[in-house]
This record gives sequence, C-alpha cells and structure tokens, in this order.
Amino acid sequence: MNILVCVKRVPDTAENEIEVRPDGTDIRREDLVYSVNEWDNYAVEEAIQIAERTGGTVTVATVGDADAEEVVRREMAMGAQQGLMLTDPAFEGSDGRGIAEILKAAVQRGRYDLVLCGAQADDGAGQVGGMLAALLDWPYASLVNRIEVLEGQRLRIGREIEGGNQEMSEIELPCVLSIQTGINEPRYVGIRGIRKVASVEIPALGASELGLDPSRVGRAACRVRKLDYFVPPAGAGAEILQGSPEEIAARLVDLLKAKGGLK
Amino acid sequence: MAQYIADRRDVDFVLHEQLRTADLAQSERFADFNRKTIDLVVAEVRNLAVKEILPTQKDGDRIGARFDAGRVTVPESFHKAWRALREGGWIAMTEDPEWGGQGMPHALAMAATDYLNGANFAFMMYAGLTHGAGKLIERFGTPEQKRMFLKNMFTGRWTGTMLLTEPEAGSDVGALTTSAVRRPDGTYRLTGNKIFISSGEHDLAENIIHPVLARIEGAPAGTAGISLFLVPKIWVNPDGSLGEPNDIVCTGIEEKMGIHGNATCAMALGSRGACRGLLLGEENKGMRTMFLMMNEARLLVGSQGLACASTAYLYAVNYARERIQGRHLLKAQDKAAPSVPIIQHPDVRRMLITMKAYVEGMRSLLYYVGRLEDLKTLTPDEERRKAYQGMIDFLIPIAKAYVTERACEVCNLGIQVYGGYGYIREYPMEQLLRDCRITPIYEGTNGIQAMDLLGRKLGLNGGKPMMDLLSEIQRTLALARRQPRTAPLAAPLEQALGKLGEVAMHLGAAALSEKVLVAFAYAHPFLTVCGDVLLAWMLLWRAALAAEKLAAGARDKEALFYEGQIQSARWFLANELPVSLGRMQAILAADPAAVEAAEESFGGR
Repeated sequence: MNILVCVKRVPDTAENEIEVRPDGTDIRREDLVYSVNEWDNYAVEEAIQIAERTGGTVTVATVGDADAEEVVRREMAMGAQQGLMLTDPAFEGSDGRGIAEILKAAVQRGRYDLVLCGAQADDGAGQVGGMLAALLDWPYASLVNRIEVLEGQRLRIGREIEGGNQEMSEIELPCVLSIQTGINEPRYVGIRGIRKVASVEIPALGASELGLDPSRVGRAACRVRKLDYFVPPAGAGAEILQGSPEEIAARLVDLLKAKGGLK
Repeated sequence: MAQYIADRRDVDFVLHEQLRTADLAQSERFADFNRKTIDLVVAEVRNLAVKEILPTQKDGDRIGARFDAGRVTVPESFHKAWRALREGGWIAMTEDPEWGGQGMPHALAMAATDYLNGANFAFMMYAGLTHGAGKLIERFGTPEQKRMFLKNMFTGRWTGTMLLTEPEAGSDVGALTTSAVRRPDGTYRLTGNKIFISSGEHDLAENIIHPVLARIEGAPAGTAGISLFLVPKIWVNPDGSLGEPNDIVCTGIEEKMGIHGNATCAMALGSRGACRGLLLGEENKGMRTMFLMMNEARLLVGSQGLACASTAYLYAVNYARERIQGRHLLKAQDKAAPSVPIIQHPDVRRMLITMKAYVEGMRSLLYYVGRLEDLKTLTPDEERRKAYQGMIDFLIPIAKAYVTERACEVCNLGIQVYGGYGYIREYPMEQLLRDCRITPIYEGTNGIQAMDLLGRKLGLNGGKPMMDLLSEIQRTLALARRQPRTAPLAAPLEQALGKLGEVAMHLGAAALSEKVLVAFAYAHPFLTVCGDVLLAWMLLWRAALAAEKLAAGARDKEALFYEGQIQSARWFLANELPVSLGRMQAILAADPAAVEAAEESFGGR
C-alpha cells in the first residue's frame, strides 16, 4: 500500500511559553523551538507499521517554507521512504481550504491508496483532513485510533467516541484518515536513520509543478480570516489560591466547608 | 520552558559556535554530519534521553540491580530503554559502520553522551562498557575475533565488561593473581576471582563478553606479565553461534552508595575448572593494551560527572525560579511585601552562577577533547597527529579528575539550593550527588590521575603538549582582546597562565629531584590549578564569541544567552581564579608537612 502522510512543522508546546503578540495578529514567533506536529508523528508511525506489514511505501509531505524541510527529513529518518516539500511563496497565508487544495494536487500527482493526517495541529482547527477528502471525493474518517488492513481494498478502522466508547467501521480505499494520538507508540529516531537521510535531496514542488492555479491558494484566496488573538480576561467569581501547598490545601478545605462542599 | 539534563542552547553553542563541529563535514569521513544532521542528532538523542531513559533513573535507584542465585536482574523499565538505545545505534556512535558503529564525530558524540548519561548514567554504563570492550576487540582482536564478537557488541545484542580489579589488586593492577593456562586447542583455562565488575551480570542481553586481565603461568611478576583474554559468559563458536555456558559466574553484587541500577559484581572464574578464554592481543602485553583504551574510558567518566552536574544545575535553577520563600532583601523590613522566588536572593544567585559557570566550562572542556580526537583522525600530517594526541593525553587526567570533583561540588550546591528538600529522597538532588560520588573514584582514582599528570603527562615529549595548549589559550586571549566587553577579562587569565607555567616548571623539576615525595603530595593541587586555568580559558573563549554576537546585534533571548556567557566568565575569573592563584602560591612554597609527618603523628591509634 502506498501511503501519503501530511505533516506540519509547529511550535513545540513542550519547549516554548506561547505568548500572544500585543497587536493580536499572531503568537510571538521569535526564538520559538519547532518540531513535527505530535498527531502527525503518530500518523507517520502508523503508516510505517502498515507498510511494514503489507509492503508499499510511505511518503511524507508538508506545505511550508524551507525551514519545514527539517520535519520531513526527521520523519524520513524515522522510516518514511520519501519526502515531498510543497513550497511556493504563493502558498503563504493559505487558510485550511487552501492547504487542502495544495495537498490535493500532491495526492493527484502520485498513486496513493491512503492519505493520513494528524487529527489536528497547532491551530487546533482539525479541518484539513476532511477538506482534503472532500476535494478528492474520497471517503474520510476522523480521530482514528485503530487501523486494520482487510482484503479487497478496505480498512477496518476504530474511532474513539464520547465517554471512551469505541466505534468500528469499514472504509473503502483510497481514503483519508485523520489520526488520533495514542493509536501507537511512535518509535524514536536513531542515528542509523538520520545517517540514511543525511544527504538525501527532498524534492520541492511549487504551484506550477503541481498545476495549481495560484489564485486558489495563498492569502488572497482565504475565505476565513483571523481577526484577533487574546487571552480572555479573568472572569468574576474565580479565586486563584496562593501560598505553600500546605497553605493552599488548608484554604481549599476551608472554602469547601464554607460553601457546603464538605460537611 | 524548563530544560532537562543539558541546556539545548548551551549544547548548540559549544558544538556550533565554539567548536564549529559542522566544519568536519567537509571531510569525506564525516561528510554525513553537516549542520542539519548534527541538529537532528542532538534533537533526537535529547528526545530519547528525556522521554525514555530519564524515567528509568528513579527505578534504577530504588529497585536497582537485584542478585539471586548467580543471576542479576535489572529494573523492568531498563529493558525498553535498552531496546530503544540499541535500535537507534547509540551504543557505538563513533565507531566504524562496518562493525555496527555510526561513524559520528567525537565532539558530537560527547553531546549525545551528555544527554544519555544525564538521563541515567548507571543504566548507560551497560552500554559504555560494551563499547569499551568492543573497542579492545576492534583494536587488538584477530579478524576471526572481530567477526565473532564485534557487530553483536556494537549493536548491543551482547554486552561487555572489563575485569581488572581483584581483592588485593585495585589501583595496583600488577598484583593480580588470576591465572591462565594454555590448552592444546589454543584457548586458555582461567582461574581467579574478580571484584567491582560493573555490568558483570544482568538480564539485558543474551551474552556478556568479559575482557579479563590474567597472568599466564610462568609469566613475569608485576604488570609485565599480564595478558588480556576474552571470556564469554556463553561460549561463542567460531561461526558466531552460541555454545555452552562458560565457567564464569557472578557470586554477588555490592550494595553501594549510588548507581544502584548498575550491577557491581564479584565474579568467580573457573570454580569448576572449566573457564575458557581466548587470548586478545599478544601474551604479556595486556596492560599496554588496556592503557590504550584508558583515555576513552576516563573521558567517559568525566562525561558522567558533567552530566550529573548539568542535570543538578538545571533542576536547581528551575526550582529557584518556582520556589517562593522570603521577602526580597531590599524589602526585608516591609511586612506587606510579598515573598519572592528564591532566585531573587543574592546567596542563591551565588550558588547558581557557580554551578552554571562550572557546568559550562566543563562542557566546553570535554567537547574540546572530543574535537581534538576528530582533528587527530582527519589530519594527514603525522606531526599534527602527534600534537593532537599529546594534547589529548595531557587533558585526559584533568577531564576525568578535575571535572568529576567539581561535578560533585556542583551536585552538592544543587542540594543546597533546594534546602531541606534537597536532602530528602522525594526530590532528585540527593540521588545525583550519590551517583556522582563514584566518578572521582573509579577508572583510576583522582589521586592516580594527578600522579599521571605530574609523573607522565607534564614531561611528555619534552613538555610539548602543555606548550601547545598554552599557545591555543593565547589565541583566545587575542580573541577576547578584540572585543571591548571581554578585553578586561584577558589580563587575569594571562596572569594565571604565567603563574601556571612557573608552577609546572617548578613542580616538574621537584618531581625528578630528591623532593619527589613532596612534589607528589602536590600532584592533586597541581591538577586542580591546571583545571581552573583550563576552565577559565573555556569560559573566556565562550565570552569572547558571545561579545562578538552581541556587538553584531543579537537580540531578545539570544542576547540574554550571550550576556549570560559573559557573566559566567566574569564571575569565574573574579572569584575562582584568585583562589587558584593562592593555590599556585602554595604549590610553589611546597610545604612538606604532609610527607614529613610521622605516621604516628596522624593519631587515631
């Protein structure tokens, strides 16, 4: 099975204090440490495991600038055979639909049986996988936490639903799946893998190579525009307890007693 | 966000800005290791260390290695970490890919080792000894021995050890009594008892290959009659398949102060008269063979010390930012003033900047030794190669002894920053000090290192290695003088450098005179002042590079990092170097009290 996994380079929330810029247009991006979006990493691991079981190849693609190459190379060091950079100044500022358009063009250039995305990325929109499936007119399942390959171009997939319950479905290939964390345990990247990809040239495709109409992507084509980012003001009625753990615990007990939570 | 084990920015600074490690990629040998690859290696080893190995550190300490009827088990969590270490190729980072190594530059491997050791060095000792034993086979083994053992060791399928110490042969290895008798089939029958064998028995791998020092029957006494043997736990057939269990058993493990995760074994060889071994290298050349591997082993111990110190520092600085206690000194009288994080208290800052300066200086020093290894490997010029080797030989006892001793002090300060919490087991600090405390002892005590420096290394090649290092330091002085921010810092280092030269001449001459005993009583202070000056060099070098970056307009977090470099150097030169100058004065005065005192005058009887 040939699998394409869409990955994104994002600020690493374990490494950075995320702050909103004073003008509200974005977060502060100076000095941020970036890494591969965590959900995407699970998707790549799942793709590698499927390819190990059933044969075929794993290709990792990203839409981004030259800096984004590091995450593609990293996922190749993990075990993906091919990488693909989708990069063009015309892509900058694309909204979710624009990104899906670019990915669609990449999918159509290859012969993929399955496309995996992370369930969401740094912006938390969780929209690209579904839009990509719709643009391709392929079936789609979101928040997938289990994949079994069946005979006859089908997969059995599991989704975690409300209350920790599990839903099982069958889906036809080719399809797009968005992957939930916890579906597997992503492997570590070792030196062996890093050396293997150290001098690999990763092909980069722009709008013309992808046959994309630049007016369909990029900032100008956005139909969703972000207006503002801000930290909500503290609401009334909330009290932040301060002091040593012992003091906080004592105060909490007092409060619970006073409000009738403890008798 | 909190950094663990080793500050990534600092590691990157040493690798890229100070040592320019990516330049090595211009050579064919290290062509793979360009800037991108180096960054990826550091990111991934850090990921592995923090996510997979660091969580085993407490298990190693609390559960520890357990002995039962000749078998040793390690904590369950070690097994998964071991698999990840093996799969990633982290056991033989610098070795030839032909034998399962990864061909990495030593400077980069020092950075990787920094993270791995900081995560759990008792665990990493299983890998470190495997690598060391493998190196012996790579260097001295026959082609058949290499085929039989090497790949399985460098890939961690089998592990290795080093069997030197016996109950009556510790620092004096020449006193060992383990014997070997040649058998008709060319193998040897060994008999003896070894103690303090790190990683001697465990359940991480299917086989353990023990290099063993023993005396062939009839060989001369002392070190001149010692040979080296390979004794597999399970016999390895010439085709590489496993045979019968060999007659080498673990008879018990030590209960230690720290590094509980690593089994320190007593081993009995030939208690049933059937312990078989293969000669490694030539007969009676075992000590020389061992010595060739000692530089690497001692550098590794230095790295263990640095890793403990670096980890302790990061815990301490993060704790000091969060722990709120006491009013700010300037508002001490204001009862309404809020309590502040303890990082705002001057005495806590004194401790933190001490720890920071030592950790940074030691990191640079150890990576620099790695850099010299790489330059030695690459140079086509035999004279240059010898010069690099000389500098390495000179630096090794300092990289081992000075670093481990200062590392213990840094861990000790870390406990102090935590206050009472530093002393209790719930917090990580006390374990770091207990673990670190072995590093000044094993792999040649620090006293032995000091004697090595004074007795062998100082006069090596007519003193050229030290002269070569002094001229390297001169280059840093020139660099520092070009920047207004660091120019005033050059003078104190230059003064200390001049004094150190005088001390070296004086002590070197005394060691060859009738004052030899007094001279060796000052071997350790001499090693200490050499270490102080080298650290001052490394810190000034860092500061000068930082001043360049600031002058070129570094901003925000970057500027704060570079300012921190200048502060570390300033602090060290202003506070530690004067102490060092005092110690140099004491070495020159060479008071003989320590050697003249009658044994009875020490009291205690």
